[in-house]
Amino acid sequence: MQWELNTDKPVYLQLVEQIQAGIISGIYKAGDKLPSVRELATEATVSPNTMQRAMTELERHGLVYANRTSGRFITSDENLIKKLKKQHITEITRDYLDRMELLGLQLDETISFITEVSESNNNKNSV
Amino acid sequence: MLRKLLRHELYATGKTLLPIYGITILLSLLNRLVTNIDIFNGPMEIIPAFMQIAYGISIVATIIVTVIIIVLRFYKNLMTDEGYLMFTLPVKAYQLINSKLISSIIWTIISVITVILSLLILLANPERLELLKESIDNIVYILKISFGENYVLLTIELGILLFISMIQQMLLIFVSIAVGHLFNGRKVLGSFAAYIGINTAVQIALTILMVIWSLIGGSSLEELGSIPQLLFPFTIIMGLTLSLLYYLVTNYIFSKKLNLE
Amino acid sequence: MSVILECKSLTKKFGSTAALMDLNLTLERGRIIGLLGPNGSGKTTLIKLINGLLVPNEGSLKINGIEPGVESKKIVSYLPERTYLPDWMKVSDTINFFKDFYADFDEKKAYEMLKHLNLDANKRLKALSKGTKEKVQLILVMSRNADLYCLDEPIGGVDPAARDYILNTIITNYNENACVIISTHLIADIENVLDEVIFIKEGHLKLHASVDEIREKEGKSIDSLFREVFRC
Repeated sequence: MQWELNTDKPVYLQLVEQIQAGIISGIYKAGDKLPSVRELATEATVSPNTMQRAMTELERHGLVYANRTSGRFITSDENLIKKLKKQHITEITRDYLDRMELLGLQLDETISFITEVSESNNNKNSV
Repeated sequence: MLRKLLRHELYATGKTLLPIYGITILLSLLNRLVTNIDIFNGPMEIIPAFMQIAYGISIVATIIVTVIIIVLRFYKNLMTDEGYLMFTLPVKAYQLINSKLISSIIWTIISVITVILSLLILLANPERLELLKESIDNIVYILKISFGENYVLLTIELGILLFISMIQQMLLIFVSIAVGHLFNGRKVLGSFAAYIGINTAVQIALTILMVIWSLIGGSSLEELGSIPQLLFPFTIIMGLTLSLLYYLVTNYIFSKKLNLE
Repeated sequence: MSVILECKSLTKKFGSTAALMDLNLTLERGRIIGLLGPNGSGKTTLIKLINGLLVPNEGSLKINGIEPGVESKKIVSYLPERTYLPDWMKVSDTINFFKDFYADFDEKKAYEMLKHLNLDANKRLKALSKGTKEKVQLILVMSRNADLYCLDEPIGGVDPAARDYILNTIITNYNENACVIISTHLIADIENVLDEVIFIKEGHLKLHASVDEIREKEGKSIDSLFREVFRC
């Protein structure tokens, strides 16, 4: 997994977000075993303490669960993942709509704009 | 820990010194061989001449290089970057000094033995050994005449004296280097200055002691008969005192005033 | 979490100039801590005091409750900001040396790390580049199972690949019983690895806080905060 950390937000929050994104996009599949905290920390070049904190946070959300003997796993609860995905998409969409509104676009204008752009994208791809 | 330190010390210095001692012994063997078989004529005569020169150099080197290695090792291993390694080992500062001192004593004795051995290899034959024995007997005879029964005491004292002055010289070098390192940025110069300074101070102190001694009516130290009872014991005690002083100052600087750059 | 290092009113002067002034500091095990400050701020002085290479003028410094000395040196692993191994030694000699003097040295670990770097243990240090020598030193220091690691400027002047190697070595050797102090003036390079930071300026402690705390509160990177605190 590619880790991209910026420097002005708490590192553990960024780790949580990126692992969530990994789960949504399917890099981590439901029920997958996660590498150890140390391995993940090495991969992301962060302190093992920070990675541990991110894991605790994910466990709190129920996205990850720890098995005392065999390590840490992504939740097998597909519904939870779906819910997370929906939540994530809602956030992005809401954010987008807010920005369009700031630019003075009405909702129907935005929708027709989306259609327009995606059609021209499709045309470009098919050529 | 001292044993480990000493082992590393002997290994680090021995890798330079042992080959030199070996070469000296080898050259004396070769020279002996060359003088015994007379096959070098005409221009070939240059070979024995060359070998004699090489031998002469190796004899001098045995002693000089030993001293140089002792001084350099102490300075480089403790006062330069290597000091960061040595002074963070879980050992006391005095154990570092002890290991350096013992290794220096060992090498000095070995170097002297090497020189004597190589001279014996080169020169010994029945007549010369007989001559050597005669001169030793002669010296003993003279000593007996001059000192009577005290000559045994004198001989023992002389041995101790030689040993103590060797240690005293080494510790003087160590303390000079330790004092010198306090002059940040001019450590080498500081060490030389400290060596000269301490030496001069000790000479002046000794002279003053002598003057006081004669003023309070002590018997003359120059008198031959008083050497075993007065001069040698006095010199031995002085040597011991100074050695101890140098040792304690070095230890104090290393444990309380250390300041590696 | 138990305390590994405690400094109380720690002061170190060189002549009349104070390199460290009245420093109070408590560090706990299990943390990776950045000791940050510009050159000459007192970072190296503090690290030398921890390692018994300097003696404080005033105040006290205790490692696991004991003053610097033989016992503390057994549990502190120190990487100075210079190459300090004798040049004539082979890499294997240096490993034997560490094994001989440090009971906590893990020879197997050291050889594994050397193998990982494709380094021949029979090579003499003389034959190695400065960067490789520094890696050998790092391997030796990190192969000890110490309670406190003091790494003085481990990433000063190395290329990004070497920097990643160093940081990875620190992370993989992390254990929750040990504290790692990394002194540096190149903060941006390592701030994600740190749990806590200490800012020292002209011998005074300016700040000691957790990295995430700072980012949460200030909303900026340690690097930008550092630039603010140390603006000339």
